[in-house]
Amino acid sequence: MEYVNPEGIREDGRRPLEMRHLHAEIGTVARADGSAVFEMGNTKVIAAVYGPREVQNRSQQLNDQALVRCEYTMPNFSTGDRMRKPKGDRRSTEISLVIRQTMEACILTHLMPRSQIDIYVQVLSADGGTRSACINAATLALADAGIPMRDLVTSCSAGYLNSTPLLDLSYFEDSAGGPDVTVGILPKLDKVTLLQMDARLPIDIFEIVVQLATEGCKAVANYIHEVLLENTKQLEYRRGL
Amino acid sequence: MVGLSAGEKHFIQGGIAQDLRADGRKRLTYRPIYVETGVIPQADGSAKVKMGATEVIASVKLDLARPNPSQPGKGKVSLFVSCSATAGPMFEGRGSEELSTELSVALQRCLLGGKSGAGAAFDPSCLSIVDGKLCWDAYIDGLVVSADGNLLDALGAAIKAALTNTRVPVANVPAGASLDEDPDVDLSSQETTRIDTSGVPVIVTLTKVGRHYIVDATSEEESQMSSAVSVSINKERRICGLTKRGGAGLDPSIILDMISVASHVSEQLMNKLDSEIAAAEADEQDI
Repeated sequence: MEYVNPEGIREDGRRPLEMRHLHAEIGTVARADGSAVFEMGNTKVIAAVYGPREVQNRSQQLNDQALVRCEYTMPNFSTGDRMRKPKGDRRSTEISLVIRQTMEACILTHLMPRSQIDIYVQVLSADGGTRSACINAATLALADAGIPMRDLVTSCSAGYLNSTPLLDLSYFEDSAGGPDVTVGILPKLDKVTLLQMDARLPIDIFEIVVQLATEGCKAVANYIHEVLLENTKQLEYRRGL
Repeated sequence: MVGLSAGEKHFIQGGIAQDLRADGRKRLTYRPIYVETGVIPQADGSAKVKMGATEVIASVKLDLARPNPSQPGKGKVSLFVSCSATAGPMFEGRGSEELSTELSVALQRCLLGGKSGAGAAFDPSCLSIVDGKLCWDAYIDGLVVSADGNLLDALGAAIKAALTNTRVPVANVPAGASLDEDPDVDLSSQETTRIDTSGVPVIVTLTKVGRHYIVDATSEEESQMSSAVSVSINKERRICGLTKRGGAGLDPSIILDMISVASHVSEQLMNKLDSEIAAAEADEQDI
């Protein structure tokens, strides 16, 4: 099966080191404290943040830091074939956990003890890289909510097919069964917070693929910076400054 | 959700009594409606509708299947609504089940018609491929992304827009193919047909607060309601479905009055929706 044709073009017309088109919007859910929609190609994800607010379940309250909770859901219509069970299945639980741990590492939770921050991520359309799109959307939503963070978290995936490292896999390339590496970084601090991989890779190729995914993360970080700057300018303009 | 104080409740009820609601609208005025079609690339048809802060998405997906033996010339249609946790923490986990079921059943009643297929919003025979052997199953899914009252009207509008946006692929079954096992259906021709949605009704919900009815209530106004009647009306001003919610009992004459008010309002809403959907479809084609 050919994922990269002899001229070096992938199935969706991209070059191997090219990311899909990025698009983000902030503040789409008016009732939430912060919200954002993030698109990577055909993958479209909406994230909403509620908090910091009072802890609902007293037994889970932490006295020295904020409790961060996260729920990831995919509706029936988001994938090619209609899914049966949108909530509570194993994959959703695992991804909820991954997003929670990644965001918890960068939120300054010690500033908000005895409170709770809820992050709800809803996939509208899935075409590969949903994990990364969710983390990017959650970062934007947290920024929109004004929750203090050490740095933005951005994420991107990369793989290795037909002996070529590929950036930002689509669903078609992901389902090929080749290696799929997802990386999440704190761009300014230059630290890795998330690293997941499946299938097999020789170590030297692994280093190349991780480096590629990290470059992708930095490109996403630049885009997110622009979006946040534009949003702040709009807010200033509305306040008449 | 933050609770309302006694003063705020009085303000909402008083405003409605004087035909000047908290956001400046009159009793029978809708919030600005914004329609966008083709929002879900993987679906065969989809639409997003915003009414103020209420935002819902509807999608239509088609799957090949065998038709029901009792209705061999028609496809099957099913409809489900779910509420996303992004609309609020009360919808987390299983919290949305009750509201989702209530909305699903009300919409099924308005749009899918009775067991015999009578009174359905659109004719399912357009989904049939080979009589008795092969048809399209249409799965209509609604998703509430942000909730600020009047979910039923918004979902009805979104489903109407999604059905208008749906492109049914033209399936060519090779002649002489055996249809008792899975046949080789040829979907390679890029042609599509559309569903005739001129008969799809709109849903108008009238919320009774004190002695007056309002249309398109926000969730603060809904918290003050005594009862609400949702009427589904089509272009010919015929009622396709009726639901009453809320604990207070209503005099039958009041219900008849609410139905006639809904019927007047539905004409404006139907025209507004039709023009918004046409504009959204034209935008989508330009892109």
